[in-house]
Amino acid sequence: MSAHYLARKLAQAFVTIVAILILNFLMFRMMPGSPDRVIKNPNLTPEVIAATRARWGLDKPLLPDQLIAYVKATVSGDLGYSIFYRGQPVTEVLGASIGPTILLVGLAEVLAIVGGLAIGAYAGWRRGGKTDSIGTGASLILYSMPYFVIGMPLIIVFAAGLGWFPTSGMTTPGMSDQPLLTQAWDLGSHLVLPLIAVTLGLLGGYSILMRSSIIDTRAEDYITTARAKGLKDGYVLRHHAFPNALLPMVTLIAINLGYVIAGAITAEIVFNWPGLGTLTIHALNARDYPVLQGIFLLVAVSVVIANLIADIVYGFLDPRVRT
Amino acid sequence: MRLSLRVKGARLAAAILLTACLGLPAAAPVAAADPVVLTVGTTQDLDSTNPFNTMLVSGFEAFQLTYDLLTNFKLDASPGPGFADSWVRSPDKVTYHIRDGMKWSDGTPATSKDVCYSWGLAMAAIADGKSIGAGYLDPNVKDAGVTKIECPDPSTFIAYTKDQSDRVFQVYVPILPEHVYGKVDYKKIADEKFDGPLVGTGPYTLAEWKTGQYARFVRNPNYWGNKGFEDEVVLRFFPDNADGMFQALKSGEIDYAHNLNADQLKQLQADPKYVAVPGKANGWTQLAFNTYGTGTGKTIPNGGPSTKALLDPAFRDALGYAVDKNALVSRVLGGFGDPGTTNVPPVLSDWHVEPDKPRTFDIELAKSKLDAAGYKLDASGNRLDKEGKPIKLRLYAPDSEGSYAKSAEFVKDWYGQLGIAVSTQVLTSAALGTLVLPPEADPPGTAKYDIELWGWGGNPDPNLLLSVFRCDQIGTQSDSQYCNPEYDKLYDQQSTEAGAQRHDTMAKMQNLIYDEAPYDILYYDANLDAYRTDRFAGWQNMPANGTPMFSYGDLNYTLLTDATIAPSPSPSQATPSPAASAPGGSAAVATPAPATPAPSAGTGDTSGSGSTSPLLLGLVVVVVVVVVGGLVLGRRRAATPADDE
Repeated sequence: MSAHYLARKLAQAFVTIVAILILNFLMFRMMPGSPDRVIKNPNLTPEVIAATRARWGLDKPLLPDQLIAYVKATVSGDLGYSIFYRGQPVTEVLGASIGPTILLVGLAEVLAIVGGLAIGAYAGWRRGGKTDSIGTGASLILYSMPYFVIGMPLIIVFAAGLGWFPTSGMTTPGMSDQPLLTQAWDLGSHLVLPLIAVTLGLLGGYSILMRSSIIDTRAEDYITTARAKGLKDGYVLRHHAFPNALLPMVTLIAINLGYVIAGAITAEIVFNWPGLGTLTIHALNARDYPVLQGIFLLVAVSVVIANLIADIVYGFLDPRVRT
Repeated sequence: MRLSLRVKGARLAAAILLTACLGLPAAAPVAAADPVVLTVGTTQDLDSTNPFNTMLVSGFEAFQLTYDLLTNFKLDASPGPGFADSWVRSPDKVTYHIRDGMKWSDGTPATSKDVCYSWGLAMAAIADGKSIGAGYLDPNVKDAGVTKIECPDPSTFIAYTKDQSDRVFQVYVPILPEHVYGKVDYKKIADEKFDGPLVGTGPYTLAEWKTGQYARFVRNPNYWGNKGFEDEVVLRFFPDNADGMFQALKSGEIDYAHNLNADQLKQLQADPKYVAVPGKANGWTQLAFNTYGTGTGKTIPNGGPSTKALLDPAFRDALGYAVDKNALVSRVLGGFGDPGTTNVPPVLSDWHVEPDKPRTFDIELAKSKLDAAGYKLDASGNRLDKEGKPIKLRLYAPDSEGSYAKSAEFVKDWYGQLGIAVSTQVLTSAALGTLVLPPEADPPGTAKYDIELWGWGGNPDPNLLLSVFRCDQIGTQSDSQYCNPEYDKLYDQQSTEAGAQRHDTMAKMQNLIYDEAPYDILYYDANLDAYRTDRFAGWQNMPANGTPMFSYGDLNYTLLTDATIAPSPSPSQATPSPAASAPGGSAAVATPAPATPAPSAGTGDTSGSGSTSPLLLGLVVVVVVVVVGGLVLGRRRAATPADDE
């Protein structure tokens, strides 16, 4: 890969991030209503309201004062203070939510990629067979189902009904005093249902794309050659068809990995999972601009970085794009 | 078909995973001496554990568990022992006696010094004309008319007041440990982190707070009052997720649920395992008419009300006859709530009066009143204002509760029958809160609306709700832009009065607002709470028409008993008021749940297996998936031969 290609991609990513930063700022300021008007409190004197506005920096003109202050602070890693959480630094609020989201959505992505690619590859290889019919049918159904449609029945049957798993949350309160193994066990039992819901929700997309990719590959001459050599069917799939069919998957995987940070909003809400998805909805309702800005910045930047990685990986995989 | 090794491996892995999942809960380790945990769910998140910073009911619930107020609340919401165990009211002061031998949870003696520090924060802020943090607590001291505080000795605290009002017993200022925060002044106290473990004199002190998840409180070993059965209290937050909370209540993960919806409450009412409590809320939902210019004649260029008719009390009075409040309660609130009248909710039974001249729902009467007031219909059936212009009202409601938008549609229909067109629009709370601001606000607004449909929630004392109609609230909290010097005078007067005298003045104020009708109070909301009866007994509503939790103070947390043992007749365990609880509910509280065997405390035993509807629903989902899958399968099979190579 040439240094020129790498430099160009890096420059593109940088420009995108700067644009996001400015857009991110303007977008939230264009929304109607001021965050200090969400809560009604007749106790508040005009002086208190003025002081509050000054504290959130809402008293200064939007351009350029607020923008300059915002860019300066963001670059130095200061995302401001949460309005809903009454002055907690945004970095702290986000920090507490990133872990749960990466755990849930990240793990679900891995499971869905492994499962989806396997189902898709096998279904495409045996196109029209039983695996294809069931696998693709199920994939289509799951692909069209929002997380909460998958999640709600899981909660009703396995949590509220049978009581096998907790209905929601990530940990049982008071677990921090317990031994590490007990804590892990507790986390695991809370994780099972949301993990199943998100994995099932993601699985369909991968399996459907992989199936069509394998079908395309199957028609290639080198597959016919491999078969003509008398190689076993499974060997041809694994060593000849599968790696070549992966190329289009790289983009999808990279983009999806970028979105891991955004969380699976409806799944997190349904399971009360304390991740970034729940936080997003919550911050939206509370007009918590600083937190929303932080989330959007984080998500946008991670998507840009994921795409950058995809470009670079592509550069390695496919010599044609290296120039 | 030969299975590849990989597929075999995948199947094996799946089988192991499934087995592990199924076996997981059964094998979950249970510690021998699990503490008894009371878990209370709410749909509201906690915003801050700093008492001066919280703006939400959940925050008040949290800090009141850890800290005492100088005087707490009894079950009937009247003042009861708190940090002080007794007090004497004299004309110009109240002398409090601080409990002898009381200790903070860390063992430090608790004395009047702590009160002087905590109230002193508020006094200092008031002296500077400032407010602390969110601005909710210190105005209590100001409103109580406290002029000076003194701590002559460790067991005496004196508050001098400028009048005899009894609001001094409802001051929501938590008594903080002076030995912990003493160096922090009022300017900095709101920036303090109140991370657990906290030091308090309340029954349970904050141990940890997981943002968006839960706050856990452990028993204060030095608590002076009655000791509740539970060793720990957990407030669990289900932000924007009433369904999740409902399921958690059914599965036994939480014992109490705050803010359920009407459908959920009705389901629980039918089940003897739960007691559903539609408690009266201290608040209402109103139509606020934009009366900007009343008395002053001021107008707003390109803003303000769209017709001068809104400034006419006779017009607003006529509209009041066109709203069927009973229909709103039954059809919008599912029957949980009360038709609205005056601007002091009935839950404040000491102060609430019904209007002397009540309006009843009568569209024809409304029409004739409009005609009589000079608002005639034109040929095409439009109601005209006195300038001859058809009256078209812009109604805005916030999106924070679904009931707002529904109520708005009813109002639109009723007003439509009078020949008054109403356009309704739902905005975010922030947008609506900004939209109603007049030029007096900072930054100035244009108050470009005719009707705002929104609500208010109040304090134990009605002053807060009464203040919304004051002239000086225009530009800050007033959403009717109403100004009437006579009302302000009455407000100031009742602020200095007590007892029957204050009641009479307040009755005048309530009638004045009702007759002048800057607000049409649609309904008094209800708090829809429910609790399980299998683990804890001794729940009592507070006050009798309210709910056990999320009302005033923390008394209920100290009165719970073990539901699995036969209740011994102890004086503290009064039988709950049957008035507001569901039929059969009170019986279930007094006796242990008969059908289910006693679950071991702390394990969250599953007792929801008896309910058939979830399983049924699950079954339906499975059937649908199988049928659809089958159809797809069938179709594919039919297509296969032609398709293959």
